[in-house]
Amino acid sequence: MEESSPGSSASFLRSPSPPPSGPAPPPWMPTDVPPGAESSADRRPTFHGSGGTLLGIRIVNVLLILVTLGVYYCWAKTRVRRYLFSESAFEGDRFAYHGTGKELLLGFLRAFVVFLVPIIVLSIVRDQLDVDPKIKTAAAFLISALFLFFIPVAMVGSRRYRLSRTSWRGIRFSFRGRSLAFISIFLKGYFLSGLTFGLYYPFYLTRRQAFMVANSYFGNEPFGFDGDGWELFRSFMLSILPTVGILGVGWIARGAGHPWIGNFCILLILPTFGLSWIWYLAHKRRFFWDHTYFGPARFRSTVAGGALLGLYVVNALLLLSTLGLAWPWVQVRNIRFAYRYLSLDGPLELERIQQQAQFASATGEGLAGFLDTGFDLG
Amino acid sequence: MRYEWRAYYLDGQTAIRHPATVRLMRDGLEVGTPGGWTRLWPYGELRQTQGFYEGQEVRLERGGELSEALLIPGQGFLESLRAVAPQFGSHFHDPSRRGERVRLTILAAVAIVAIIGALYLWGIPVLAAVAAARVPAAWEEQLGQSAMAYLAPRELVCEDPRRQKALDAIVARLRTGAPASPYTFRLFVVNDPLVNALAAPGGYIVVYRGLLERTHSPEELAGVLAHEMQHVIQRHATQALIQHASTGLLVAALTGDMTGPLAYGVQSARVLGQLQYSRRAEAQADAEGMRMLLAARIDPGGMLRFYDELAKADRQPAMLLKYFATHPSPVDRIERLKALAATAPGPPVPLLPGTDWNDVKKMCSPSGP
Repeated sequence: MEESSPGSSASFLRSPSPPPSGPAPPPWMPTDVPPGAESSADRRPTFHGSGGTLLGIRIVNVLLILVTLGVYYCWAKTRVRRYLFSESAFEGDRFAYHGTGKELLLGFLRAFVVFLVPIIVLSIVRDQLDVDPKIKTAAAFLISALFLFFIPVAMVGSRRYRLSRTSWRGIRFSFRGRSLAFISIFLKGYFLSGLTFGLYYPFYLTRRQAFMVANSYFGNEPFGFDGDGWELFRSFMLSILPTVGILGVGWIARGAGHPWIGNFCILLILPTFGLSWIWYLAHKRRFFWDHTYFGPARFRSTVAGGALLGLYVVNALLLLSTLGLAWPWVQVRNIRFAYRYLSLDGPLELERIQQQAQFASATGEGLAGFLDTGFDLG
Repeated sequence: MRYEWRAYYLDGQTAIRHPATVRLMRDGLEVGTPGGWTRLWPYGELRQTQGFYEGQEVRLERGGELSEALLIPGQGFLESLRAVAPQFGSHFHDPSRRGERVRLTILAAVAIVAIIGALYLWGIPVLAAVAAARVPAAWEEQLGQSAMAYLAPRELVCEDPRRQKALDAIVARLRTGAPASPYTFRLFVVNDPLVNALAAPGGYIVVYRGLLERTHSPEELAGVLAHEMQHVIQRHATQALIQHASTGLLVAALTGDMTGPLAYGVQSARVLGQLQYSRRAEAQADAEGMRMLLAARIDPGGMLRFYDELAKADRQPAMLLKYFATHPSPVDRIERLKALAATAPGPPVPLLPGTDWNDVKKMCSPSGP
């Protein structure tokens, strides 16, 4: 489940609590506006980094990871985040990332003990030991249960960690949702989506987004989310419709003795589904952002399916033609793309904001490193 | 040299950014706001957290976790600071060394290519050999068993207890030619026209129908079996699997994708079927296999004849002849084997006397009356 929407903290950029945004241009010119008087014109985040610098950072990271037999991985991740955050600006001020490699390593080690060790022990019981088949079945069941339990814990944990280590104008973001509450949302989404053949999935996505956004804070001020699952459900269904229609036509044509029409329909399915899915992804992004607010100010996304398709196509060509070496440029392109279509409209009452940082350990972040929660791009 | 700079001050408590002036003094920064206060920030208490790259403002933090911060947008601030307080030089980023950083990065790239090349060519093979020698035989057997599900699916294994007994007798005879090893050898004949044989870790030997039917005597098959059994005894298959999995880990380290190696490890059982052992492993299996034949008093002529015949057939375009595709360079090998065979300690003792080999080798066809 690819996630790249506002609350989902996909790569930091469309990430931690929606970065407030502003007419950044003259970035560092001291043209200060007295507090409170900030205009309500649309504010946009900006990105000032470059793919070349990012490539340099990654090269040094790879070398150090090799030399340290992988231990440097945590510091490498932190370095990339620090760079990307510090090159992202809103209202002329850059974000800052305060995480450290050491705490990330400790988080990984803790996650290893609480998650991987039980999974490994249970897998040995399931696959290797000569024990009663009933015990093997129980072990297999426990493994699935542990995964179902740890995936939501990791999603919440990594969001809590990342937001707590992110600041803008010296004020920390934070996440205050309870893991238990999200486990129930996740399990409900998992089972209901299965029972309804995926029809519940857009509702789950909406509930997840609401949970992730509404529990995110900048200082003492929460973000809000007021999206209705039915809206996402409609575009979800619309995006599937053309594919279903083509399948139906093909099936009827075959029954009526026109196999070539049927074959033609099969050829059409992949492009049709691909295009309508990208259209759906763009709509999902707009839906998530347009329903996200911060005090009286509201986010607005104008991303369209065509633009998203262009981004994907060029990214794929870049990666293919350079055997993946262009990855840093692709990352920068994704960030710029996300910022280009995003704005925050309405008054930003910054004088109300007070520092109110929350404690967060890196264990959940470590967990998310082991589990591919689809929530992580950074 | 500029001593006074415009800056912004963040108090760490509110989201308001205050304009400020910063004056470079000998022991610290003198920070002043239009609001009226002026404070001295000693250089030793400052941390630089941003401003390491071209175009980034300099960010200096002071205090604990939730610190106060100064943002200094102007170009040249760090240079002036270094000039005023050279004793704190190591405390702050030096923009004049950015060119050096680029050169070091290029060096790092070269080093990566060198390290990866060395790891791939030497590091991983040596590591795999060392690790394979320490894997418990019981694990190897587990590994072999799971690989066999793919290499010799039950419905393709030819089952004929009478002929199987004759083949097992060859294996048992070969065992007498080698020092005790922890493996129990199990021979499977797979109903497939390929002319090939292979070994999975832990004592599993697979012979394809195509190869079995091409032999003219039990001695010829014994040569092939001796070679494959040596792959097991020398742990070549285990080593190759470890090597394959480590390559997956290396790829993961390069791409940062940790889900890859898992998938890589899982499919490695399949890879056994197309594994190419190194030339050294092949030569070792040949030589040790020949020693085993001789020690078991089996006529080495069978092995030589069979290799010879396959090597000749290999020049013809025979799609099914896979044996030398996975066991390369036949001609040198035969020469070396001939030299070894000349050292036979005594006259050979015939294999399977009184057994009709032409019947045994048709194991995959229903037996006659």
